[in-house]
Amino acid sequence: MPATTAAAAKLLLQMVDDYTQREISPYDMSMDAAQDFPKGFVDKLTKTGFLGIMLPQEFGGAGFGPEVTATVLNHIARGNASTAVTLEGHFKTIDQILKYGTPALQQALLPTANDRIFAFSMTEASGGSNPMGISSTATREGDHWVINGDKIMITNGGLAQVYCVLVKTAPDELSVFVVDQDMPGFSFGKREDFIGLRGTPVGEIVMDHIVVDNDHLLGKLGDGGVIGDSAHDDARILMGAVLTGIMEHELKISTDYAKERKAGNTPLTDLQVTHRKVADMAMRKETTKLLYQRAAQLKAAGQPYSEEAAMAKAHGSRAAVSAGDDALQILAGYGYSREYPVEHLIRDARAMEIAEGTVEKMRSAIAKAEFTK
Amino acid sequence: MKIVVCLKQVPETNDVTIDPVTHNLDRRGLAGVMNPFDKNAIELALNLKDSRDDVQVVLLTMGPDDYAESLREGMAMGADEGVLLSDRAFAGADTLATGYVLAQAVKKIGDADLILFGRQAVDADTGQVGPIVAEFLHQPQITYAANLRLSGANEVTAERLLEDTKQTLVAQLPAVVSVRSELNTPRYPTPRNIQLSFNKPLTTWHHDDLDLDDSRLGQAGSPTIVTKVYAPEPVKRELTPLTGTPSEAASQLITALKQRQLI
Repeated sequence: MPATTAAAAKLLLQMVDDYTQREISPYDMSMDAAQDFPKGFVDKLTKTGFLGIMLPQEFGGAGFGPEVTATVLNHIARGNASTAVTLEGHFKTIDQILKYGTPALQQALLPTANDRIFAFSMTEASGGSNPMGISSTATREGDHWVINGDKIMITNGGLAQVYCVLVKTAPDELSVFVVDQDMPGFSFGKREDFIGLRGTPVGEIVMDHIVVDNDHLLGKLGDGGVIGDSAHDDARILMGAVLTGIMEHELKISTDYAKERKAGNTPLTDLQVTHRKVADMAMRKETTKLLYQRAAQLKAAGQPYSEEAAMAKAHGSRAAVSAGDDALQILAGYGYSREYPVEHLIRDARAMEIAEGTVEKMRSAIAKAEFTK
Repeated sequence: MKIVVCLKQVPETNDVTIDPVTHNLDRRGLAGVMNPFDKNAIELALNLKDSRDDVQVVLLTMGPDDYAESLREGMAMGADEGVLLSDRAFAGADTLATGYVLAQAVKKIGDADLILFGRQAVDADTGQVGPIVAEFLHQPQITYAANLRLSGANEVTAERLLEDTKQTLVAQLPAVVSVRSELNTPRYPTPRNIQLSFNKPLTTWHHDDLDLDDSRLGQAGSPTIVTKVYAPEPVKRELTPLTGTPSEAASQLITALKQRQLI
């Protein structure tokens, strides 16, 4: 990393840590309980420039690279994973517009990504991990397209204003279009009542005869599968970072508690049973960190990173659930109580064994990559 | 209008040690951050910059090379440029020697209308450097300003919060002002401004770049002698419990206070 980039990254992380400690962490518990961000929270996040961290400077963003961007989410997730996941959904969508959007589409959309949240929507009731199972369509009518369909379980669904939507442009052809919540025919459906990451809105959008020009097509017709895979890859790196942050949070709660608590007359820090748990938690956290950073480095270097991104998410999600379980056991009754954050950290981590591709799908992808070597 | 904001980098941790030889804070090897109170001074300068088109904000600090990080942070908040005063000859300076070098640097920067300081540094807690710079510059000073406004073309009005009173002072510019933390809430540097701050000028001035009297520099120019640093022993006081009914306890308390001539 060039010296200037490293110095800027250090300053950025210093700011992120300060902001997280003062403005995000205090709401960690209440977000989970209320299943929402506090009033004005997203506006503050926007005003502080978080939405443009990885957006190139030519579009008004800060232009930080994949490694720094992932590390920022790692640090934010130490205070609250929902905030980090909302940014993850935004960043992965921007990434696809940067990779596949025409210069005109980029110029039209990306400057607004500094103060509008973007989302990528693939899943439908008829298909999640199997994109060919979706029912949404874009039909050409004259010189424009007409989009119809329902998308569900969208990260930032209901919060985002711009959506990249995966649709069928032919029975065996997937394509991606960009739609805006202000377009006629666009409406929001129900918000999911998930057990974890409850601050992050996850919801449904309904597209009823939305008419768009051809310049709203992302990439070429038929690129939908490739763009969808790319969005997953980018999201998985960031999820590895979020999971690392969750584990750092779990570890801190556990070690702080162990340093104060005694079992009989023996401090928990002197018990081998505590050592085993804390050591396992630390190793899980560190391995996940190395995996997401490795994937981010490959991405920054322009090399393939799909397998490493899958590893970061597959390993990290189970690691964070297991680390949360260890943390709960160290805190015992307090860990099982909603008064402490451990139980919601487990629920938060559990979401990422499913979102952006199940761990089973990750393992298949990793295995297939290994078979080709 | 040119505003110079003087700032200090302080240890990030409260867990500092005392140098056994000099009895000063041993800052070696400690990660540093900008003195939090100095951010209030920067925020005031930036608010003035936001309200007018002609304001230039220059940050000034004295210390080792890594103090540039605090200058960069202030530039990421919105200041226009930074000046680092760094030379072995400046090392070991007390508040007087520090104030002297800062004042000479302010002269070299030139045409400063307002020189701002945070109320004090959180490591040494003296609050002396601002007033010392004002004396070296022969400029009026207002300390502990809780609010400040430009009240005329060449005039500033500030309200000081003292222990039991408020004091409103008007000073002719150029002037030196130290500000209280109640004055404002410092802005966070945005990620974009962090990146752009690396395009802003950051200059390092060494000993030979300034017009200096060497006898006023570093430890030689520091009349402060720290002979001992210690935590005061807690004073052990005799406790006299109040007993009986509330009325009886109140009578005992009044008697005890009268005996000590406290009432």
